Amino acid sequence: MSSELERVVTVVPEAGLHARPAATFVETVTDADSDVRIAHATDDDDDTDLTPAASMIAVTSLGVEHGEEIRIVADGPDAAATLDELERVLTTPEDELGEENATATDTDATTDTNA
Amino acid sequence: MTDTLTQNRIETLAPTEHISLEPPTTDKRGYIEFLLDLLVDAGRVDDRETALQALLAREEETTTGVGIGIGIPHAQTDAVTEPSVAFTRSDDGVDFGAMDDEPARLLFMILVPESGADDHLAILSTLSRALMHDEVREELYDAETPADVQAVLKEAVA
Repeated sequence: MSSELERVVTVVPEAGLHARPAATFVETVTDADSDVRIAHATDDDDDTDLTPAASMIAVTSLGVEHGEEIRIVADGPDAAATLDELERVLTTPEDELGEENATATDTDATTDTNA
Repeated sequence: MTDTLTQNRIETLAPTEHISLEPPTTDKRGYIEFLLDLLVDAGRVDDRETALQALLAREEETTTGVGIGIGIPHAQTDAVTEPSVAFTRSDDGVDFGAMDDEPARLLFMILVPESGADDHLAILSTLSRALMHDEVREELYDAETPADVQAVLKEAVA
């Protein structure tokens, strides 16, 4: 229980949490050892609104637009690192995200040498 | 979040001629073209080639196979005259390259004019939300006519 952390992040990609940013987001969640759930930050922090973030259709169903805030809750051994990585995905403009993907696909370990 | 996909709107977005329960057995590209042709035949698409390129460009970015057996190819393009949704299904499932590796059995297409970014996201998110429910997917598998499918969709977004 003490391993649960949360963060509110403003979505930067122009198309919102959709297409490639959404796929990168879900892949990051899937790769993590923590459970991750998300909701619109405007939902009064009610835990019943949290949706599992490891599914494309669930993330798509939120319809998160550019500039909206989402609340991310991570629970597990790598919760803090997972939140850092998800925040990076959500705050990277879409064109830059694509470039990073191209170079970092097969090297999970390249993320943070000083982590 | 705007939620513009209301019950009444289903009939405008997805009239029964946009719904086919007799698709060919084909691959992902074939299903995308099949769904597009439903909209072309219904008079919603002025420029088939431009619409197809927009749909394929979107797939190139990342697949619209969103998992749990659902594919929702979609695009914003002025090749479409008004927001439109098409539906078909694949009994055997078609490989959509989804992250969960599940073949797509329920296939939707969403085409919205360039100016309709909010509408596009609203339709996509409302449809996704509806399809997360097991019973909605079951009813779509079981639907026997396009009118049945339309009724399920109306109920699901209510």
